[in-house]
Amino acid sequence: MNPFKNAVDRWLGRGDASIAMPPMDGAFRPNDLLDSAPPIIETPAPDCLAVTSQGVVVSSQRSLFSVDQPRGAPLASFDVEISALAGLPDGGAAVGLIDGRIVFVGGEHGGRTIGASPELTCITALAPARGGALLVANGSASNGPAAWKRDLMEKNASGSVWRIEPAGGARKQLAGNLAYPYGLIEEANSVVVSESWRSALTQFSSDAGGRGEPVLENLPAYPSRLSRGADDAIWLALFAPRRQLVEFVLREDRYRRRMIAEVDADYWIAPCLRAGRAPLAPTQQGGVTQFGLLKPWSPSWSYGLVARLDRAYRPIASLHSRANGRRHGVTSCISLYGRLFFCAKGDGVVASRAYEGLAS
Amino acid sequence: MTVAPLAETPLLTMKNVTKEYRGVAALKDIDFDLRRGEVHALLGENGAGKSTLVKILSGAVTPTRGEVSLEGQRIQIAGPADARRHGIAMVYQETSLVPSLSVAQNLYLGDEKFFNRLRGTYIEAQQLFQSLNFPVDPTAIVQSLGTAKRQMVEIARAVRLKAKIIIFDEPTATLTPEEKHYLFALIDRLRKERVSVIFISHALEEALEISDRITILRDGAHVVTGDAKTFSRETIIRHMVGRSLSNELYGRAADGRTVRRAGEKILSVQNLSMQNVVRNTSFSIFAGQITGIFGLVGSGRTETAKIIAGVTKRDFFHGGEVRLEGRPARYRTPRDAVSDGVVYVTEDRKSEGLFETMSVAENIYVGQISSAGSHGVMTSMSEMRELAASWTKKINVKTLNSDARVIELSGGNQQKVVIAKALVQKPKLVIFDEPTRGVDVGAIAEIHNLIATLADDGLAVIVISSYLPEILSLSDRILVSRQGRIVEELSPGEATSESVMFAAVY
Repeated sequence: MNPFKNAVDRWLGRGDASIAMPPMDGAFRPNDLLDSAPPIIETPAPDCLAVTSQGVVVSSQRSLFSVDQPRGAPLASFDVEISALAGLPDGGAAVGLIDGRIVFVGGEHGGRTIGASPELTCITALAPARGGALLVANGSASNGPAAWKRDLMEKNASGSVWRIEPAGGARKQLAGNLAYPYGLIEEANSVVVSESWRSALTQFSSDAGGRGEPVLENLPAYPSRLSRGADDAIWLALFAPRRQLVEFVLREDRYRRRMIAEVDADYWIAPCLRAGRAPLAPTQQGGVTQFGLLKPWSPSWSYGLVARLDRAYRPIASLHSRANGRRHGVTSCISLYGRLFFCAKGDGVVASRAYEGLAS
Repeated sequence: MTVAPLAETPLLTMKNVTKEYRGVAALKDIDFDLRRGEVHALLGENGAGKSTLVKILSGAVTPTRGEVSLEGQRIQIAGPADARRHGIAMVYQETSLVPSLSVAQNLYLGDEKFFNRLRGTYIEAQQLFQSLNFPVDPTAIVQSLGTAKRQMVEIARAVRLKAKIIIFDEPTATLTPEEKHYLFALIDRLRKERVSVIFISHALEEALEISDRITILRDGAHVVTGDAKTFSRETIIRHMVGRSLSNELYGRAADGRTVRRAGEKILSVQNLSMQNVVRNTSFSIFAGQITGIFGLVGSGRTETAKIIAGVTKRDFFHGGEVRLEGRPARYRTPRDAVSDGVVYVTEDRKSEGLFETMSVAENIYVGQISSAGSHGVMTSMSEMRELAASWTKKINVKTLNSDARVIELSGGNQQKVVIAKALVQKPKLVIFDEPTRGVDVGAIAEIHNLIATLADDGLAVIVISSYLPEILSLSDRILVSRQGRIVEELSPGEATSESVMFAAVY
């Protein structure tokens, strides 16, 4: 990078120093479709959904629950919190834990555990791969899954994607230097990863060392998990909105360092899964209601957003929970039998709705 | 605050006033009256005839038919000086002051004494401003003043001329809320001094707040006049847009037209800013679709389009970003934009779109040689004739031959030449700004078909229009602009005249 150009851009607010946000229009035109979905389960911090032989399963803190049995006992519980979950073709599930272990529940590898390793300390997403392997996204080399906000504020790009053999635990790194990989999906000869801090989906070859190519860039929110439905529809959950103020703070290095060092993370100028709960949080109070919609004085730092993508990963439709909604912080979504299931981690809700006619 | 209207002979009466331009009526049999000491709001869409009406009063335009009476006496207003003599003054949106002269010199412009003593002029001006309680320095040069103070000078000039009627044309469009509040206090004071005020505004809240009576015009005809208290925003909008004509020309998507699906995102405008005209606006444009942008005059639509096309420049500091096919684009000149496939078809074809005294062929060829595929300074007469023949046939320009001068063509055919000049540059994105302004009905249908064909061929098309039926009939997606920003996106199925107008004025 040319340091002179950087300095000029910084002074003029252009190029990389621009704090311009992509608009939410076209396929991302706001609506209330997430809010109008009836809730299925209300549970603390539902994080990840998967389809298994038990039907749709959701992870919440240390347990797995069946979405079909909202009041039933947990399907499985662990000693630490769950950070990722994937349904496997044999009907089992792979569960990533915050300490870096991967545990298999049900199916061919049921009961098997792959131990933690120094490379996998922040498992954010799992996906089945060809040949019975497992794709693993490691969000950050220096922060755990709970410290995602710190990882954004430190402007890290230390994430990686791995291919792991469940049988022996052999692992191979497929890509590195990723800006918080948070979702995975396998294509014929490639893997598509959602990079949260780049607000983009990146595709790279399934062979190790392949160079990543962006397939979708400049998203208006931070992307998280990807899933593919039986009808080949691709769904992308976006867990928090991008805001100009946050982008501004991200380029003010001295301010950011002091904020990280001196201010409690709950009060940082940073995106979050649910805003407005802490009365001390800055610039979140107040707003006006116009045409029945809350227009907050400042853009809210949490939002609910799910996008439907076509086969070329172009957004074709989206479902929203706006500033005054109650389905914020969507970290995972899957489609099954014409219904979209999503978990709003910020509001502690798993809900579903039909998606027929949604730009099909 | 409103004052009860006085039961007396109206100060001003207009009866059956009609103004025709080449047989086309801009105003049709308008009856209008203005009472002494009242604030009368004149409302209507762009092109409804408000400006023509007040131009007749200010002497800028002579009516074709009808009569104007002042204090019961029939009068002829031959020109602006005549209007001033009758006590009618106009405060324009863009003030008519001479920027390089002082405030006091402007106050007395055209009315200077034979032995003009500058110091005396300043003293008199100071006394006038003090009597009006206007905080304006009479020695200040006008170009150093803000919009509100310039308007104060205009108002002071009207008061000095002992105007009985003051016409305000969009006085609040460029004012800050504080300045607006101050202006309303001034109008209130003028009302108390029994001066009659005609107030033109697109801001309905302002009209409801400040006026005693409201008159609404639509398509050059009088729709309704009534006490302001009897109106609400909803009833005003219904009267403003409830047109019954031209449904056959302007069919809506809800009536069965097929809406095109969005293709690739061609353009992403992010937080674009230019002074206080374009304010942090963001939107996207997609290939294979017509995106209609509606907004009232002064809503920043044209300025946004001109920034995209490199005609004007965004703010130097933090002016936002324009991304063409994902890459940042900042054009210094329109030619840079043209070479990237972005063309802008101007709303002002006479001064910006054509070389009027040049031939049709030369005009189209100018478009070709300014495009990326041109041979620079090398020109070819045969290439020019072939190009002109091909395009005049393709878009049906009605001319005797391609050597005919553009000035000899009708408005519709001139517009087609402007469009041909743009399309010859093989664009990816075409921005049409008021594409059918001043164009006859037959040519409107042809231009609409041409625009639709471009979108069918996969081009990204933006149509900026102040005419709601045009937006509703052409667009696959409607963006509404207000106060320099895109504020609403509507699909053609859900867009109605009312919903679009609501978004444009709220």
